[in-house]
Parts: sequence; C-alpha cells; structure tokens
Amino acid sequence: MMPAIPTHSGRLRRFGAVNWLGLFTLTRRETSRGLKDYNYQILGPVVSSLLYLAVFHLAIRTVGGDNGSNADLLDFIAPGLIIFVACEKAFENACGSFIFDKHERVMADLLMAPLSSIERVCGYLAGACLAGFAVGLAVALITLFFAELSLVQPVALVFFAIMGAMMHGLIGILVGIWAEKWDSYAAVHTFLLLPLSFLSGLFYRVENLPTLAQELVRLNPVFYIIDGFRFGMTGTGSSNPWVGAVVLLLVNAGLFTLAHAWFRRGYRLKP
Amino acid sequence: MTPTLTPRRYGAVNWIALWTLYRKEVRRFLAVGTQTVLAPMVTTLLFLAIFVLAMGHSVELVGGVPYMEFLAPGLIMMAMTQNAFANASSSLMIAKIQGNIVDLLMPPLSALEITLGLALGGLTRGLVVGVATAAAIWLFVPLQVSHLLPLLFYGVMASLMLAQLGIIAGIYAEKFDHMAAVTNFIITPLAFLSGTFYSTARLPEFGQILAHLNPFFYMIDGFRYGFIGHADGSLLLGALALTTVNAALLLANYLSFERGSRLKA
Repeated sequence: MMPAIPTHSGRLRRFGAVNWLGLFTLTRRETSRGLKDYNYQILGPVVSSLLYLAVFHLAIRTVGGDNGSNADLLDFIAPGLIIFVACEKAFENACGSFIFDKHERVMADLLMAPLSSIERVCGYLAGACLAGFAVGLAVALITLFFAELSLVQPVALVFFAIMGAMMHGLIGILVGIWAEKWDSYAAVHTFLLLPLSFLSGLFYRVENLPTLAQELVRLNPVFYIIDGFRFGMTGTGSSNPWVGAVVLLLVNAGLFTLAHAWFRRGYRLKP
Repeated sequence: MTPTLTPRRYGAVNWIALWTLYRKEVRRFLAVGTQTVLAPMVTTLLFLAIFVLAMGHSVELVGGVPYMEFLAPGLIMMAMTQNAFANASSSLMIAKIQGNIVDLLMPPLSALEITLGLALGGLTRGLVVGVATAAAIWLFVPLQVSHLLPLLFYGVMASLMLAQLGIIAGIYAEKFDHMAAVTNFIITPLAFLSGTFYSTARLPEFGQILAHLNPFFYMIDGFRYGFIGHADGSLLLGALALTTVNAALLLANYLSFERGSRLKA
C-alpha cells in the first residue's frame, strides 16, 4: 500500500509573490564577495583616488599658472572621483561575479535556487550597488581631508548615486552573462567604460571644450551621472539635472529589461 | 642498425632554449595584442586628454616646453614600465596557478637563462608598448627626439628593471590578489608620483628630496630628457642608479631561480 502523501509537507518553505529570503541571501552574497578582502577591495580604490588627487594637486601647484583659474580644481574633481570609484566597483562586482562563477563552475548552484529572473537581476544589482556605495563612502571620507566637500542637494546626490551605480551594475551583469573570460571584462572596462568616464567631464569642465565636443559629451550617459552627482554636492552643474535624470532613468530601464530578458531565457547561462 | 640517440650538445649557453623561452614570452603577449598593446595606447591617450583639458590654457611652459610635450614622454614611460612589469609577473603567476611552471623548470635551462628569457620578454613588451603609445601620442603632440642615446638607454634600462621586478613579484605572489596589491600599492603610486604630471623642480625642498628618492623619477626624467632636452635631476646619477639596480636584480633573480625558492619542491 502506498503511503499517503502528506498534504502539508513540513519541509517546503512557502513564500508569496517574492522570495524575500532568497533575494536577501543573493544580495548579501554579492555584497560580501565584493568587500570581504577589504585590503584590496576597498583600500585599492581609496589609494588610487588619493593618487589622482595628489597628482592634480601637485600639477596645479607646480605648473598650473598664477591666475588662480585652477585653484578650485580639486574641489571640482573630488565629487567626480567619488562617484567614478563607486560606479567602477559596481561594474566590477557584478561582472566579476558571473565570470568567476562560470570559471569555478558554481553557476548551477545559483540557477537551481528558487529565484525568479526578476529577483535574480535585483539581487545581483543590489549587491553591486551596495559594494559600490561602500567603496564610494570610503573614498568620500578620505577625500574630506584634502578637498572641500559640501552637500547642497542631498536628494539629487542620492538619486544620481543610485542611478550611476545601477547603470554600471546592469552593464556588469550583461557583460558578465555574455563573457566567457576575464579578457572580455578587461576589454569592456578599458575600451568602453574608462573612456566614457574619463571623457565625461570627470576631471575638467565641459564648458572648456569646443562646441562639437560639448555636443558629443551630452550623448554620453556617464556625463549625466557625474554632473548630477556633482550637482548634488556643489549645487551647480554643466547640464540640467532633470534632463540627466530622465536620460538615466531611460537607460537604466532599458538595461534592466534586457538583463531580465536574458535571465528569463537563460541566455548563455543555461544549456 | 639502430640510430644512436645522443643528447644535444651545446656550449656554455643553451641558445635554442633561451630563444624558445624568449619567443614564448613574446608570443604570449602578442596573442592578446588588444589587451597588451592597444589597451595601453587608449589609456595613455585618455590620461593625456584629461590632464591637458583639466589644466586648461592657464598652464605655463614647463622645462621650456608646453605642458603637453612635458607630459607625453612620462606617459609613454609609464605605459612601458607597467607593461614590462605585467608581462614577467603574469607569466610566472599564471604558470604557477595553472601548474605548468614545471615546463619552465624541467627543460635544460640554467637559472641565468630563465632570468634572461623572462626579463627580455618583459623588455620587449615594454619597448613594443613604448613605440605604440609614442605613435598614438604623436598624432596629438609634436614629439621630437633631441637626444636619441639617452632616450634609448633610459627606455631599455627602465623596462628591464620593471621586468625584473615583475619576476620577483611573480615568484613571491601566490594569488592574483597579491599581484594586484603590488601593482596598486607599490608600482602605480611610484609611477604616479614620479614627476610625470608635474615638475619636481618646482616642489618645495622637502618634496624634491622625497621625489629624488623614487627610482621612477630618474627613469622618467632621463627618458624625457631624450625628447625635450631638459632634465629636472641628474642624468648621470640616474644612469648609475638604473645600471646598479638592474645588475643587483639580475643577481637576485639568478640566485632565486638557482635555489628554486617558492618554485621547486
């Protein structure tokens, strides 16, 4: 005689529309894998930001001229550096996680977990953003000793920080899903993200560019991240923050939809 | 009649093995030229762009030349040294992690031949990257060579020194994290604070003393002299320092391959 199947299995956890425990676990795993070796993972970006500040400071002091137009350059660069470092970390965290898991062949463990594709995107993304914010905060604290930082528009600051980290985290997820090797990660970083960041008014005022270059810069979404974040700190920017907000919301919505579709199809992750 | 099988005979130097190791080191980086040659070109141009745009028009003449021309040789040198270091260190590091380091230790290569093969491989990558970045920069900055001999001497000696430091790092590091730490906390700070982006001659006295303790200062200063004909420090001192350090590193690397420290069981 077959044993009766119990109607209430005590072993199955039940959850509603959202598997909060699963989502929280994925987020925690993603955040901690990006921050646990804090010697390298937090101190590294802090040291490189300090180097940028030091080098610019010394360049202004020794060859910057006497007319004082470069006097506040450090205060101008500092907000850009903070959000730049946070964004880099968000990209690295999300992208590195996928490539590492593929190499170590533990991707199946993640795919087997009872998580919907939207929960997966959110988990990876939240982990990437939190790791990015942790590093950005560390850089901001150190920068306080060397440059004047203010907080004029806190809402804008938080909004643009989230949008920037999200955009880089989503690009990281997409590249991570697509990539097979660390080479792809390095290529996207060197040939796409670094040029977009460095040529986006991170270190210079876009008003100093020729007119055509100014128009081109305005096509670069990273420009709106940096300019918006700087607006949040200093209260002045090179562009209208509302335009930046709309551009970034659209870009992020597009990237999010794509990432969700890829997870749903199991693109490059499932056989 | 069976052919007699005798070992290949060679003199004091196993030239075929040395050449093979060197060729392997060079082909290793040429196979991924996008990362090893194109990437430094892009990064160097980005640095040039941000410094020139950030400093704007208010910049004075530095060492008798415009800021761009002052900046360019240092940027080329930074790319050369970083890549020379990366070639030797990553080659050893990856061989250790993948376990194919035995293929380097088993063949009839003497300790000196291993050192030379790896160091010359790094040197070659440094020089290739140097020529590539110089060509890229030349599109934007009118670079002129004023003293060819110092330029070649400093270019070769600096790349060789960093390649040899890369060997040491490759022998000692056990994980990629260790290598990243050496790059982030030692090589990059020394390179950034070497007077590439600013003139050490205009620092306060204490700053000058500190700057002159940095070996990267002499490399970049001497290399820049080859282009613009002006040096902030002493060329002779730099040449002596680089030669001594390279000789000492050669000896150290020879001894460490001879002993097999951290490589042989």
